[in-house]
Amino acid sequence: MNRRSFLAGLAGLAGCARDKRPRLNVYNWSSYIAPETIPSFEAEFGVRVRYGTYESNEEMLAKVFTGNSGWDIAFPTHTRLQPMREYGLLAPLNHEWLPHLANLDTRFRAPVWDPELRWGVPYMWNGTGIVYNRGVQPAPARWSDLWDARLKNRLTMLDDPEDMLGACLKKLGYSFSATDPRQLHAAEEAAIAQKPLLRAYLNAEVRDQLVSGDVLVAQLWSTTAQQAIDAAPNLAFAYPEEGFPFYCDCAVVLRESGRVRLAHQFLDFLLRPKVSAQIVEATKTATANGGAQDLLPESVRTNPVLYPPASTFDRGEWPKTLPAATQRLRDRIWTEIKSA
Amino acid sequence: MKLRRWFLLPAWVWMSALFLAPLAIVLDYSFLSRGPYGGAAQPWTVESYQRLFDPLYLTILLRSFAMALAATAACLVLAFPAALFIARAPRHKNLYLQLVMLPFWTSFLVRTYAWMFLLRDTGLINTALQAIGIVHHPLPLLYNDGAVLLGLVYGYLPFMVLPIYATLERLDPALVEAAADLGARPFTALMRVIVPLSKAGIVAGSVLVFIPCLGAYLTPDLLGGGRTVLVGNLVQNQFTTARDWPFGSAASIVLMALVFALLWGSLRRDSEPLL
Amino acid sequence: MNRWVMKRWLAAYAVAFYVFLHVPLLILAVFSFNSSRFTVWEHFSLNWYRAVFNDPQILEGTWNSVVIALWSTTVSTLVGTLCAYGLWKRASRFLTGGLYLSLVTPEIVTGVSLLALFQWAFRWLHWQLGIYTVVLAHIAFLLPYVVIVVSARLRTIGPMLEEAAMDLGANELQAFWRVTLPLLIPGLIAAALLALTVSFDDYVITSMVAGVDSETLPMVIYAMARRGASPVINAISALITVLFGVLIVVSERVRES
Repeated sequence: MNRRSFLAGLAGLAGCARDKRPRLNVYNWSSYIAPETIPSFEAEFGVRVRYGTYESNEEMLAKVFTGNSGWDIAFPTHTRLQPMREYGLLAPLNHEWLPHLANLDTRFRAPVWDPELRWGVPYMWNGTGIVYNRGVQPAPARWSDLWDARLKNRLTMLDDPEDMLGACLKKLGYSFSATDPRQLHAAEEAAIAQKPLLRAYLNAEVRDQLVSGDVLVAQLWSTTAQQAIDAAPNLAFAYPEEGFPFYCDCAVVLRESGRVRLAHQFLDFLLRPKVSAQIVEATKTATANGGAQDLLPESVRTNPVLYPPASTFDRGEWPKTLPAATQRLRDRIWTEIKSA
Repeated sequence: MKLRRWFLLPAWVWMSALFLAPLAIVLDYSFLSRGPYGGAAQPWTVESYQRLFDPLYLTILLRSFAMALAATAACLVLAFPAALFIARAPRHKNLYLQLVMLPFWTSFLVRTYAWMFLLRDTGLINTALQAIGIVHHPLPLLYNDGAVLLGLVYGYLPFMVLPIYATLERLDPALVEAAADLGARPFTALMRVIVPLSKAGIVAGSVLVFIPCLGAYLTPDLLGGGRTVLVGNLVQNQFTTARDWPFGSAASIVLMALVFALLWGSLRRDSEPLL
Repeated sequence: MNRWVMKRWLAAYAVAFYVFLHVPLLILAVFSFNSSRFTVWEHFSLNWYRAVFNDPQILEGTWNSVVIALWSTTVSTLVGTLCAYGLWKRASRFLTGGLYLSLVTPEIVTGVSLLALFQWAFRWLHWQLGIYTVVLAHIAFLLPYVVIVVSARLRTIGPMLEEAAMDLGANELQAFWRVTLPLLIPGLIAAALLALTVSFDDYVITSMVAGVDSETLPMVIYAMARRGASPVINAISALITVLFGVLIVVSERVRES
């Protein structure tokens, strides 16, 4: 045991108690930032950042929807922007304070879910697909391959109502953003039929189990899948043939924040090409920052998992925000699936 | 007796502010509806309670009951001989008791994690079995009902040992001798004399194990992998990711009601006052 | 089966019983010294302990846990002692019933009900969850434990000494302060140590009412355990087990004295 590091830790702790620097509380997905990002922001702006992580939109919303969570910045997926806005949780973005906004990739400058970029700054984007161990033959290529009884107990699906139900809907040939209750209930039945095969509903937490070989096939986001593939080359990723969703995680400023200016400075910091490129290198994610993409090595820019080629890209769709009644039904269905 | 009133005042404040008020709010929420994106809002409705009668959720209640019952039964069978041993030990009774309680007083979370460590696919048990050659693929020991049961039994076993020991300790050895004199073999004496006489301890221990197991949350969450959904998980889920506070509140009230009913039933018999 | 055989069976069973109870924790501790993250023994190493002390999240969680435990123990021991004494003088079925009920309430229900209380209050106060809400929550569920331990001690002391003191001219307060309280001290210490360990170890209730700044050690452990297993948790577990073990042994000694 290194006595010096122990004492340094304690001293750091004692120092925390009397820290007079302004604070910023950032709530982000796990494994979504580079080790240098926060320290360099803290050094340049003379602030102290508290960085918390979550594994799912639901986990973040559970804390944030009360309107007094204490967080200043969060990174919801684009489909959650509208409900959060309607619930009065978001502070509008002031573009004057975001000079680096021009760095965004052209696809994200006026996105479908927020054409004027008033509410969220696109951060990273990914698609949902199937990550599998190459030992599984034949290789899964469709959502329906995940209902194979041979995979019993070595299969996981995402702990995300939108993705999990979406996969069932796609398997049945319906739209990812279906609103018809009959279609949704059919998807629910498919999900409950699949449940006995599942090891668990896991998000990014399944990565270690994929690497170690405990889990053979998983529904997973492309960025997390790439992180797993980097750790274990015997893994591969496929965008299902029936169709799949694309998501964009956007950085938002929460209305409850009393540090709106500082929050904007952090968002602007993230928009710098070098910062974004650093994050991509550390996390193997697909950035919405065009300036950063130019800085990336060729192999990363053309990685089919992170930046799928046009033919694959066209099979994907950007899920829409659902009407409140459908959302309630879906939430209820999700509880029923989890409880079955 | 004015002093007594002042002394009890902080406790009364605690009782109203931190016990009764929260429960009242939960009761209130259980009759509200879920807001559009979560939380509790008008109008008043009994829909949450009605939803609980859906077979899906009744199954959860039944499953929780069954799990708690199984854990209690397992604890009883495992704890009784141990309590008997300690009660009959000629020396070091206190030491044996402390050795039983020691793991209990260390962190519950740590003790639950210990079983995660042992039962995982890459955990000790699987590694050992594969090394010896008994199996060639890891056995799925974790993330199922069995693992949850094991975790619950391991967690609450000491709760069963103590009350049974307390009753056995007070057992008149003359009664056992009398049974032997009348020709009973030790095992018969055990089943037909000792066990019935220790009923009070058995009931007390069973209540002490059953009730926490009924409302268990951490064990099914960590050892069941989120697949074993018991009432505790349902409540936690509704108050966090599902954001359906009214439904979670209704489930909480029903759980409380079950617990109170059980306690009422068992307190009818005479038992030692704790307070 | 004759008596002698039964006795041997019982002894053998007892050994197996104790092994079952203690070995999992021992194994955790042993593998915390394994240099490899897997359950195949590589060689002895203090790596994981180094990692524990180098991780700011773990250190901060521990600090928060300590602060919360100290505050909640102090207040609950105070209130609990006064309550136990008051109840000892004259029983209050309502209060006793409430304490019982609180004791048997499932932790998750206590947690969500306190969360509901705080969020309801925050509609007007515009405050946030933080260390103070965790402290309040801990006081809420620690109180019955303290009352039980102190009440047990009061029963062994008996009312005679106080009555004697009052016969000799002391008033109520003096009788309490100068006669009963000194005799209660071992019980107080035992109650406080019990409260300390229960508070430090709590996960369920704390996770519901913790805020941005108030992550406790059990919360850190839980998050790590959810992500899979890491030997760092083994190291923390071993440290906690030793700490709690020491506290409990001390508590037992004090109680016996």
